[in-house]
Amino acid sequence: MHGTPLPPHAAHPATRRSRPADPSLKRLRARRLPWVALLWTCMVLGLAAAPVARAQQAPSFAAGGLTVCTNPTLPPMTFVNGTDGSDLAGVDIDVSRRLGAYWHVPVTFVSMDFVGLFPSLEAGRCGMVISGVVRQAAREVKFDAVPYQPTSLVVVARAGTAHVTSMADLSGKVLAVESGTSYAARIAQENVALAAAGRPAIEIQQYPTEDQVVQQVLIGRAFAFVSQDVELAFRQTQLNGKVSVIFQPDYPEYRNFAIYIRKDARDRAALEGAIAALRDGGQMTPILQRWRIMPGGGDMQAGDQKAVSGFNWRTFAAALVSPAFARGAAITLAMAVLSHMTAIGLAVPMAMVMNGRDGMLKSAIRAYVALFRAAPTLLQLLFVWNALPQFLPVFRESWFTPFLAAWISLSINEAAYQVEINRAALQAIDPGQALAGDALGMTRMQVYRHIIFPQALRIALPPTINEFISLIKTTSLASVISLQELLAVTQINVARTFEFTEYYAAALIYYLLIVFFFLWVQKRIERRFAWADRLKATSHAAA
Amino acid sequence: MIEVRNLQKSYGDFAVLRNVSFTVARGEKIVILGPSGSGKSTLIRCFNRIEPHDAGEITIDGERIDQKTELTRLRCMVGMVFQNYNLFPHLTVLENCALPPRVVKGAGREDAEELAMNFLHRVNIADQARKYPIQLSGGQQQRVAIARALCMQPSVMLFDEPTAALDPEAVSGVADIMASLSADGMTTLCVTHEMGFARRIADRIIFMDQGRILESAPPEVFFTQPRTERARDFLSQMIRY
Ligand SMILES: Nc1ncnc2c1ncn2[C@@H]1O[C@H](COP(=O)(O)OP(=O)(O)OP(=O)(O)O)[C@@H](O)[C@H]1O
Ligand SMILES: [Mg+2]
Repeated sequence: MHGTPLPPHAAHPATRRSRPADPSLKRLRARRLPWVALLWTCMVLGLAAAPVARAQQAPSFAAGGLTVCTNPTLPPMTFVNGTDGSDLAGVDIDVSRRLGAYWHVPVTFVSMDFVGLFPSLEAGRCGMVISGVVRQAAREVKFDAVPYQPTSLVVVARAGTAHVTSMADLSGKVLAVESGTSYAARIAQENVALAAAGRPAIEIQQYPTEDQVVQQVLIGRAFAFVSQDVELAFRQTQLNGKVSVIFQPDYPEYRNFAIYIRKDARDRAALEGAIAALRDGGQMTPILQRWRIMPGGGDMQAGDQKAVSGFNWRTFAAALVSPAFARGAAITLAMAVLSHMTAIGLAVPMAMVMNGRDGMLKSAIRAYVALFRAAPTLLQLLFVWNALPQFLPVFRESWFTPFLAAWISLSINEAAYQVEINRAALQAIDPGQALAGDALGMTRMQVYRHIIFPQALRIALPPTINEFISLIKTTSLASVISLQELLAVTQINVARTFEFTEYYAAALIYYLLIVFFFLWVQKRIERRFAWADRLKATSHAAA
Repeated sequence: MIEVRNLQKSYGDFAVLRNVSFTVARGEKIVILGPSGSGKSTLIRCFNRIEPHDAGEITIDGERIDQKTELTRLRCMVGMVFQNYNLFPHLTVLENCALPPRVVKGAGREDAEELAMNFLHRVNIADQARKYPIQLSGGQQQRVAIARALCMQPSVMLFDEPTAALDPEAVSGVADIMASLSADGMTTLCVTHEMGFARRIADRIIFMDQGRILESAPPEVFFTQPRTERARDFLSQMIRY
């Protein structure tokens, strides 16, 4: 679908907050199966893939190339290695590449916010989702799941905390979980039991990214967090042994990471066969060793940066000047400027109609404004990116990039707000102005261009700049459709290194620079409005 | 020069102008008087077709004004000045006057500004050319508005209560300018509520009530011996003010 691998990025609070509650969008984590069971599974899978010659043939979802959707914020499964923000790494990435090699097809990765993964799979934007997502029955209603790696749920607290013997022991304590995952729902079930026993509930706090969850325990706000053994093992090197597992609940639905594909019995069999073949061919072990899921590997590429206490100025400075941050800021800026200019271009004629006589067109515009102001921006982005291709297949083609989709969505959304601003500004102009223009023989367009617009601009400018500044921040929602803007870059780096303050500060500097620049531009433009103020007009005329 | 025959206009059921007929000679100064709501503004707005009329006929210089009239050309021929001046606040005095010739007639910037300066001199306000309207007094603004209309070099000027927002001294300034216009052969139609002003500038008074012309007479006749009861009432009320 995309000509080149798209740069990865992560989610941020705004998108996660609006996550739908659909269980198919929830991440599940798993529990380690006994190795015996794994071996048995392998044998079964091996049998299923019996006609080996056919297994080499790419399944339909990988025909001509394997496109993989992933949310690279979950090391060691899928994450970004290095600061440039485009270097995907992890078990999931390696497994995908091996699958591509096995089927002799090129592999393309599309990284996006977690919320976007399954809608993208459904829309046909990618052939499979591999993103540290556990196998879960609820999700298998809509998709086929093929397990590739056993895992286990763990409850983790600060090092030195006494072990507990059951989830009920967490009664009354604060437990941090990643929002959008099914952990919260699972723990809510424990709370039902606790309530029945007349004991206080486990207090669940949800955070949008895994790294923030961990941070809550490190700073002491939460007693423990819920994670997976593989991830924790990886995190330990960054965390320097600051946390330890205090309990391993036995939840059957968190036992395996799975690859998800659209429902198709033959594809499923082919994928199962391929995974079994990789395993039998000894190709899985080096991957697991490499990412320290199995002992024996040594080549750990990430996690070598230790979380330091205090502010790491070097990280901060490196982030500030890194191409990834500069590129993220450039994308944020370009997206905001382009979308807002398009929005204004759309809104001005609509505002002119709104100030004219009643009619069909006016009612249509009113409906448009109401609709697009009511619907959350995030929903509009997801709709344009994921639902539109289902109605109109042309939007599935590679020309329809995330940038283009975000540009269209944000423009149409912003125009709905801008119509009101422009309409009010036009309405504020004394009708005598247009009358005078008419009486002087000007055409309608000349009256607008030379008389009304210049005056309306003065009235519309401050609320327009306000809208623009808020749009700069709204662009971060586009990370959900895999646009790698500034905040997405930040999250990816935080997920990789746990250096929150440094990367947040770097992002803040960029946002401040952008916003202050436009406030300065506003001041410059407002100087031209001296005519509206008697005193200023005098000094202006004297100058 | 101007001929009006059986002019009619209504807003919905409400007839604003009912069979209005009169003629104006070239260079004549007509003042239209009448109670509020009698249709004076509506009448003069029909001449530059800012209000299209429903029935009847208007001809200016032998040319019929109707839906086929090219508006730009008509409005170059018929200038208009408003009660509230309606200057463009975002433009300097000079730009206010130079903009219309530039955009409507396609004049070059320098030519337009030279023309504008001429007319600003004419109305005695050239020294304020670089100021913005907000910096001027009402009387000064009205003179700029007149200069702006003159820059289109019309042969007819319409004034709708040009002095209603002005103090007596400014009124007399505007009256002087209007007198000097007709000396150059400009035809003017002026709506006003100020009797002194009307008496001073008018060659002829047209008195309207309820969309009809009741009297049409030279000011010395109209003010001393009005023929209709309605005009007598009107005048006695005006004098009481
Ligand atoms: N656009 C309009 N729609 C409906 N009625 C209108 C409209 N314009 C004017 N009228 C009515 O037409 C009548 C004549 O209006 P017009 O402005 O011509 O009166 P006028 O003689 O100029 O009054 P004044 O001395 O108060 O300016 C008034 O009763 C007014 O309410
Ligand atoms: Mg009037």
